[in-house]
Amino acid sequence: MMVLPKPALERKKASWLAEKIREKKIQRGLAIGAMGFIALFYLAPLFWLFDTSFRPKVEIFNVPPRILQAPPWETFRSYSLSSFQVAINRYQMHQGFFNSVLITVGAIILTLLVCSLAAYAFALLKFPGRDIIFYCILATMMLPITTMLAPLFKVIQSYGLYNKHLGLILLYATSAFGVFLLRQYYVRLPLSLIEAAVVDGASKFRIWWWLVLPLGKPVLAALAIYQFRNVWNDFLIPMILLRSENLHTLPIKLQVMDSITIAKDYDAMIATGFIAILIPIIFFLLFQRHFLEGLSGSIKE
Amino acid sequence: MSSIAVLRSRRQKKKILFSKVEPYLFILPFLALMAALNLYIYISGVRLAFTDAQGINPGDPIGFENFAELIADKQDFWPAIGRTFLYTFGCLATQIPVALILAVILNSKIFGRLRGSLRASFYVPVLMNTVVAALLFRMMFLRDTGMVNWFLGILGFSEKINWLYEPNLSLLLMIVVSFWQWTGYHMVYLLASLQSINPTIYEVANLDGASPFRTLWQITIPLLRPALTFVSVMSAIGGLMQFEYSFMLFPNAGFGPGMKAMTGIPYIYYHAFRNKFRFGYATAAGWILFLIILAVSLLQIRVIGLGQADNE
Repeated sequence: MMVLPKPALERKKASWLAEKIREKKIQRGLAIGAMGFIALFYLAPLFWLFDTSFRPKVEIFNVPPRILQAPPWETFRSYSLSSFQVAINRYQMHQGFFNSVLITVGAIILTLLVCSLAAYAFALLKFPGRDIIFYCILATMMLPITTMLAPLFKVIQSYGLYNKHLGLILLYATSAFGVFLLRQYYVRLPLSLIEAAVVDGASKFRIWWWLVLPLGKPVLAALAIYQFRNVWNDFLIPMILLRSENLHTLPIKLQVMDSITIAKDYDAMIATGFIAILIPIIFFLLFQRHFLEGLSGSIKE
Repeated sequence: MSSIAVLRSRRQKKKILFSKVEPYLFILPFLALMAALNLYIYISGVRLAFTDAQGINPGDPIGFENFAELIADKQDFWPAIGRTFLYTFGCLATQIPVALILAVILNSKIFGRLRGSLRASFYVPVLMNTVVAALLFRMMFLRDTGMVNWFLGILGFSEKINWLYEPNLSLLLMIVVSFWQWTGYHMVYLLASLQSINPTIYEVANLDGASPFRTLWQITIPLLRPALTFVSVMSAIGGLMQFEYSFMLFPNAGFGPGMKAMTGIPYIYYHAFRNKFRFGYATAAGWILFLIILAVSLLQIRVIGLGQADNE
């Protein structure tokens, strides 16, 4: 057995280590490159939509896409806002946008108030029948209301809420998931704070307003985002309940544009779709953490 | 003197009574809304299903005729239910395995800080309106101007398929769009569960020389079982209640070529609001679908348990 002199041994070790590190680096680079490529390919339809919404109508259905036909910066010269102009002038897209905002904001505020009140009682107050009522509410999570389209229409009509935004907002406000999510958070609130408030003689309503609501801000944010996604993207129920064009939300506007059978304005549809998905994506990039928390239903403190 | 005592005790009684009622006042807004809308909708649904109501015409009670007609309908109704299941199964079989593989890959330490942005890029389609996703993919699947045929052409498939007008492909297209839109949702959920697994388990497995495949099969999947069940059930319910892809993916809102994209909810919508406004009939169909979805949800309770609420 040959024994290497000490310096040589160390040199060998070092080169072996360097080799290993290099190998790892290459592996890492390959893995990141591959996943990055998959992610880009995955998002390609979205890039196409974003790019196309700024293109004139003649370039929309270019094959291959206009942006790949020449160096991209050259193709950007034909960018214009004509699609948005068509969508606004011919289909009142801006109105759809405001209707969507109005319904979404109204539904979120009402949901937060109604659900938070109920969740507070279920989490921190004691009263007969509490758990039974809570489980009944939970059970309604499994009842898919869209199977009852005709009764839904009839009931809303019997209240005089047909073709009104208010009908939709009230429908969205009773979120059983919302009560569940908030209650989960409220049971873990520091009891000492609330007990101190009780000793000071604060009423239950004041405790809710001044303590529970502010302490539960993170969970309220998560629920707001959850509702935002639901309401902003909802399609079937608003389509049934809103008749007048000036009340339509963005997805319904899209459906109306699509219902023209001859010479569809695809440019207007692309522009409207762009706006309809842009808002949630912006919110997502701003509040990514809350989005993912609301998804898994567990808020970490 | 005594009148003051009486007054005080009366006030006290009132106070005690109020403190007993007060908790119910907090849940009242929620319960009132729920009763006036959701509950009332289901109750009138029970009544409506046994009538021949049509549009605003309230109709007459006709007993089980609607249900009898539906159950005997081998032409339209059962094929629609069959497609609903086929579509749901297709979604489950493609999305859950891919979501799991993606989650496991993204969970590896290699990605470091990039993990967040990779996760976000797979999650972005989840945020999209399903109507926009359906329209976007319709444009992608157009025969002459769509990107799918163009891309297949680059890969060497020169034959241009008329995707949107091929009845046998309707469900497949819907499964593709659903895959694109929802795999990221499951992936994010599974990734969150993966990150809560103690890493020493993997270190031990690594020391024992377990292959990555074996680690996945014998450690990761068993530990992820609750999460896998959850996303499967969510995906199944979503699939059973699917509407937008049937309605918007194909041109002219015709539920696909030869109505071959017609599934459960579209069937209800079509008969209540598109065809002959048969409210009674559509409601009866709704109840059948309702029972199917309920059965799937009850499976969820059996497997992961409703008592989740009190476990923590």
